[in-house]
Amino acid sequence: MENQGYSPVECIDDNNLEKNNTPEVQLTETPKTKTKKSKWESESDNDSESEQRFSKKRRKKIQDSEVDEHSQPETTESIRRLKVSNEDPFNQSPSTRSISPIAEPINDMSISSTPSPTPESTTQSFEERIIKSTPTPLPPMLTGCRSVDNYEKLNRIEEGAYGVVFRARDKATGEVVALKKLKLDKEKNGFPITSLREVHTLLLAKHPNIVNVREIVVGETLTQIFIVMDFIEHDLKSLMEDMQVPFLQSEVKTIMLQLLSAVAMLHDNWIIHRDLKTSNLLLNNRGQIKVADFGLARKYGSPLGPMTELVVTLWYRAPELLLGTKKYSTAVDMWSVGCIFGELVNKEPLLPGRTEIDQLTKIFKLLGMPNEKIWPGFSKLPHAKNIPFIKQSHNTLRSRFPYLTENGFDLIAKLLTYDPSKRITAEEALKHPYFTESPLPKDPEMFPTWPSKGGGERRKSYTSPSAPNVAHGVEKLDEEDQTLLGSIFENQGGNDYGFRLKI
Amino acid sequence: MSKLSLQNAILTYEQLETTPSKKDNIPEELEDELRRLGCDFIQSAGIVLRLPQVAMATAQVLFQRFFYVASLKKFSVRDIGMGALFLASKVSESPCKIRDLINVYNYLIRRYRNEPNEPLEYLGQVFYEMKDALVIAEMQILKKLGFNVHVQLPYGLMVNYLKVLELTDHETIPQKAWGYLNDSLRTNVYVCYQPATIACAVIWLAARIAQVKLPTSPPWWELFEAELEDMENISRHIMRLYAIRLPSNLPLSLDELEDYLKNYEDRRKSGINEINEINDNKDDLGPAPMVTM
Ligand SMILES: Nc1ncnc2c1ncn2[C@@H]1O[C@H](COP(=O)(O)OP(=O)(O)OP(=O)(O)O)[C@@H](O)[C@H]1O
Ligand SMILES: [Mg+2]
Repeated sequence: MENQGYSPVECIDDNNLEKNNTPEVQLTETPKTKTKKSKWESESDNDSESEQRFSKKRRKKIQDSEVDEHSQPETTESIRRLKVSNEDPFNQSPSTRSISPIAEPINDMSISSTPSPTPESTTQSFEERIIKSTPTPLPPMLTGCRSVDNYEKLNRIEEGAYGVVFRARDKATGEVVALKKLKLDKEKNGFPITSLREVHTLLLAKHPNIVNVREIVVGETLTQIFIVMDFIEHDLKSLMEDMQVPFLQSEVKTIMLQLLSAVAMLHDNWIIHRDLKTSNLLLNNRGQIKVADFGLARKYGSPLGPMTELVVTLWYRAPELLLGTKKYSTAVDMWSVGCIFGELVNKEPLLPGRTEIDQLTKIFKLLGMPNEKIWPGFSKLPHAKNIPFIKQSHNTLRSRFPYLTENGFDLIAKLLTYDPSKRITAEEALKHPYFTESPLPKDPEMFPTWPSKGGGERRKSYTSPSAPNVAHGVEKLDEEDQTLLGSIFENQGGNDYGFRLKI
Repeated sequence: MSKLSLQNAILTYEQLETTPSKKDNIPEELEDELRRLGCDFIQSAGIVLRLPQVAMATAQVLFQRFFYVASLKKFSVRDIGMGALFLASKVSESPCKIRDLINVYNYLIRRYRNEPNEPLEYLGQVFYEMKDALVIAEMQILKKLGFNVHVQLPYGLMVNYLKVLELTDHETIPQKAWGYLNDSLRTNVYVCYQPATIACAVIWLAARIAQVKLPTSPPWWELFEAELEDMENISRHIMRLYAIRLPSNLPLSLDELEDYLKNYEDRRKSGINEINEINDNKDDLGPAPMVTM
């Protein structure tokens, strides 16, 4: 009766268990039909109401018992906490966990403000000041999703490609939140794995510069699921459309530092965001950046297995992705960060391609035609033979940023490096001299405030393209679906001129 | 108060004692048996589907959690088992196909009932019914568990503890402890204790059975913040599994459960379903009370 079919030798730890499997997940993804229809549901959900009553009764008790036996009064900063949890369990310092059954009650004050105790550097001190900490979550109660009726709809913020986002008020506390409705209508394979990843990554990625998820609530039917987030006043895309002048250099630095800090933490935890762009970067009225939209994010294993190439919105898509690489890494996010940097400085998109070929052409015109010397392995990428040849040998990046300092230019050049293995990492970028030269990053508290569009009138929809919807489907589940797939590129590897898009 | 977390949800005493099924007048023994049966199916299905153990383990914990917030009268062991395994396969990044899962469940159910194996007609009516049930079950699990579906498992911890205790090369202990971890998924220990405690408990139990003495001054488990009392309790739950045989006619669907309950008292009286009290004192482990708190 004992189950001995699994040997410890086969599997060294849970992380490896996961990682060993990751490469097998071939991410071929199903195209999903877009539907524009969306509806706010307001009828009550009896089921979850009764659960609510049940859970309220328990809440006090659970809180007590958590403090008694399971509380981990972690006072370390969230970045550090995440690092620890991914490492060998033995590195978990016993001091962060309670040994005695009577642990000190969790003190909100002590949790909310601890700077990261890493070696001193001038950058660090800016980081400390600029990146504010968030409270540590407690273990969950075993309780169901609440009903969306706990929130009062205020207005629709924005319709993204895959979900509708509403501004709403928590009826109990009066707090304003954002509700993102997941689109599940046409799912053939149950709850989409991409949405599971979105929720999971948001939980894993507790960071002051990553949007905070409060809970998941449900509507009347089983297919109405909403992610409840803190409401953040602006997204950088809409904000820049409305600004008369670009951000000041000191503001750009603050935004970049916060973005890099969030990205560094993600990468440190083996998470690639895969859709960084200005419309997915939120900015609140206290100068804080919050990375949002983890709809494409995923953990990757080691060694890196093949993943779908259809990720990242066109304008922010790294050249290796455009050239069809199957083995990409965190460097794809760094390319996007480079494009965002350029956009913040110039207040206009850096590489607004219309099609994939146009995108490549724009990149080549900006940075010069890549070759084996500057990017070893380039010519062997799947689409390398089909790309347009641009007679552009040198890099014209400098002329696009006449007002950027040498350091600033050096940073953007390092972010927009062709060879992904040479591209600067988020960790390195945080230490770049650009951030310590004058003008220094602005204290987030000193940021100007702008009227919030999401908080008031309807936003006009913007023209930036969305992430490829193929990547939102469920991957490799029914073989019937596979026939719907196929490459977006016709004539792969055939004649040189045959590089054409189907869509 | 955070409603979502990556940490394992731990039940309160009240939640453990008054399960939704109990409130629906399902006898405690039957609930126990049905939980075990559901987990057996999940484990077997996962093996046939060649899923990684992390998927089966996650699914069983989800299954156990689910029936602390929902009643066996409203959700069947078959449907929630399929839904939990389907969901867990995605959570562990090794998604299985709905079609394969349904076929495997069909096969396992027939085997359990001693019926000849007969493949389901693909896209036939039964297939569609099961597919619908599966998809609904998956959503119900997500909804009733408030999307807390990321389970921390003790496997990695246990292997590391074995290393620290220099037991990795022992003849029986690693294998035994690993087996206990798999088996304990069929009990409620994953909803009562954090992974570190469970990892310690299975090592403690395996070492006892192998009669290997581990450092006691100070006790080795204190290094991993486990308590003796908890380890003993977990061990009792595991040993109990081996002492009680599962009847071969348990209900898998809601209709079957209804019939089963009608005859339940008769059945018990005639002794078909008699539960043998645990009687393995070779380890000085008495009958298992519920978790002590
Ligand atoms: N927490 C929030 N607070 C305020 N506004 C938000 C919040 N989350 C999202 N939004 C707004 O809604 C828009 C769409 O959200 P999000 O990017 O998460 O959805 P999406 O459907 O994945 O979009 P897309 O695929 O087009 O990027 C954002 O660009 C932003 O303007
Ligand atoms: Mg978006």
